Amino acid sequence: MISVSDEILSINSLVIGYNFRKRSVPLLPPVTASADKGELVALLGRNGIGKSTLLRSVTGLQKPLEGSVRINNEDALLFSRVKFARSVGYISTEIVKVSHMRVYDLVALGRFPYTDWIGRIDQKTDELIKGSIVKAGLADYNDRFISELSDGERQRAMIARVLAQDTDIMIMDEPLAFLDISGKYSIIRLMKELTAGGKTIIFSTHDFNIAVNHSDRIWLMNDHGLKEGAPEDLWLGNEFECLFDSEHTGFNPEDGSFLFGLPTRGKIFLEGGDGRLRYWTVKALKRAGFTITKKNDLPCKKLHVDNSGWIFSTGDTTKSYKTLYELVKQLKNQ
Amino acid sequence: MQAGLKNISIDSLFSPVTKRRSIFLVLVILLLVFFFLDLFLGSVTIKPADVLKALAGKADGTVDTIVMKFRLPKAITAILAGIALSLSGLQMQTIFRNPMAGPYVLGVSSGAGLGVALVILGSSAGIAPGSMLTSGNWILVTSACIGAGAVMMLIMFISARVRSIMTVLIIGMMLGSGISAIVSILQYFSNETMLKAYVVWTMGSLGNLSTGQLNVLSLSVGAGVVLSIISVKMLNALLIGENYASSSGLNVTSSRIVIFACTSILSGSVTAFCGPIAFIGIAVPHLVRNLLKTSDHRLLVPGTVFTGAIIMLVSDILSQLPGSENVLPVNSVTSLIGIPVVIWIILRNNRNSELF
Repeated sequence: MISVSDEILSINSLVIGYNFRKRSVPLLPPVTASADKGELVALLGRNGIGKSTLLRSVTGLQKPLEGSVRINNEDALLFSRVKFARSVGYISTEIVKVSHMRVYDLVALGRFPYTDWIGRIDQKTDELIKGSIVKAGLADYNDRFISELSDGERQRAMIARVLAQDTDIMIMDEPLAFLDISGKYSIIRLMKELTAGGKTIIFSTHDFNIAVNHSDRIWLMNDHGLKEGAPEDLWLGNEFECLFDSEHTGFNPEDGSFLFGLPTRGKIFLEGGDGRLRYWTVKALKRAGFTITKKNDLPCKKLHVDNSGWIFSTGDTTKSYKTLYELVKQLKNQ
Repeated sequence: MQAGLKNISIDSLFSPVTKRRSIFLVLVILLLVFFFLDLFLGSVTIKPADVLKALAGKADGTVDTIVMKFRLPKAITAILAGIALSLSGLQMQTIFRNPMAGPYVLGVSSGAGLGVALVILGSSAGIAPGSMLTSGNWILVTSACIGAGAVMMLIMFISARVRSIMTVLIIGMMLGSGISAIVSILQYFSNETMLKAYVVWTMGSLGNLSTGQLNVLSLSVGAGVVLSIISVKMLNALLIGENYASSSGLNVTSSRIVIFACTSILSGSVTAFCGPIAFIGIAVPHLVRNLLKTSDHRLLVPGTVFTGAIIMLVSDILSQLPGSENVLPVNSVTSLIGIPVVIWIILRNNRNSELF
């Protein structure tokens, strides 16, 4: 069981939605979830289900219709704006475009809940701001204009701003959007570093692979509310099916690979090959719609693989291939 | 070799702080230079020495009258108007997150104008002319500020729903046209004297302010400047958008009320006494941002105060066409200065899609 002292955020029977003509319109049935100190929590769910609304409610930017949000075991819905800002930092999908704003200026805005009426920055604050920039991996970027940054660098600058805000919880709405693959992994690495340092990060994403492979906990939103747990617990409970709205697509419950539900083309006996070569050969065959058998009880279709190439034999004919592309193309045409 | 040469630039020779200090020093000097130039130059040629004598109170009748009753009040009005319009433009650009925002383009000046029209033209219908002299200045300013504030609210309401900068701009122009239509109707039903007073007002002028009016204007602009200084931290937070500002601890609603009040007072009071003055409010903040290379309002607000005052003094000097007896409407001069800046912003925005 989760020990009470570690729990930093709990959402209890929260009803998110909006008010329309004095009537409340809930988006989902009540939602219950929690997060512990130092956890990386991924929020998954189909488009339009209310991920952003949930994150905005946790940040205090939007009042929930019912239910409670507790931060460090205090009722967060009673927090003042400044107290909220000292507990929860927020990064939305909105791209900040301001001319003549330097990275340092942007990060300095994170000190808003701590500075005096005119926002004076003393030496201690200055060191904190510069430290946050370094922590976010942007050392030497202090004087760069944010309009000149790449998408990944801008996301880091936004993270540095929240670090300067010095909150226990960081909320990020799709921090991996707009980023290329190396950008995505470098940001997720930074997020993991920060959670290892004691921050709790809750982020929404559509990148399923990153979510299930790298987060400590998943909040999975579906039409019935929210399921939470370690990614592997959710695999075992077959919970991810809800992400698909068609019966033809889904996950293979055995290994978590993605299924299109296309007709299979039969079985192939595969022999030979070392680990790496064999692994990618299996991938290619599965992609082409074949299943692999370990027993040689179907002598009609047999694939031999070694370092010189692939040799495919069906009873009487035998043909060799130099690349997997040629092999798959030939197999599909049969 | 070439790269090595490139690195030796002004940036590396001076630290940003020293550079900014020298920019502010230059601004103060320019302000003084143009203030005195504005006093020295005019349709009547007076020797600078005589002007200085008049300022010290040691000049004879005509020179004393020209300098103390006409040139000095006009120069002070120019400074106040420059400060007020530029500051209100800066605040509007930040709060609407729109580089093209300004009191004139968004129709806020027209809103103030409607307030003025209701007072000037409305007074011909009912209010006794005598009451205009005593409490009239405050009534004029108040109704102009309310008019400006009302248009601000409308634009805010619209820009919360419409993301596109250009759409908001077009709607601002529509509001301006709608308001002039209402003013035309008012003109149609008002008497000749008041109609003339209103038409003269629309041409925009820095002169013609009575001592009482100048006092009211000084107090209003002073209040606006104080409010601007108070709202510096809020403006900085609002730069990155309401969601981020709110998540970093800003009470968006109350800060918006403060900034709206400030902008309405600044643009309303100047418009009430000087008429609608075009393009200063939109152009000056951009000049200052490019001069100081910062987005920090702790620097932008004082920078805008000085630059706005300087640009308005220059406009006033140019409008007098030094060396001739003719005087141009100050509005034409400010437009000729401001419009190139606005076009430059549009072109720059198209190139790198920056907000402001």
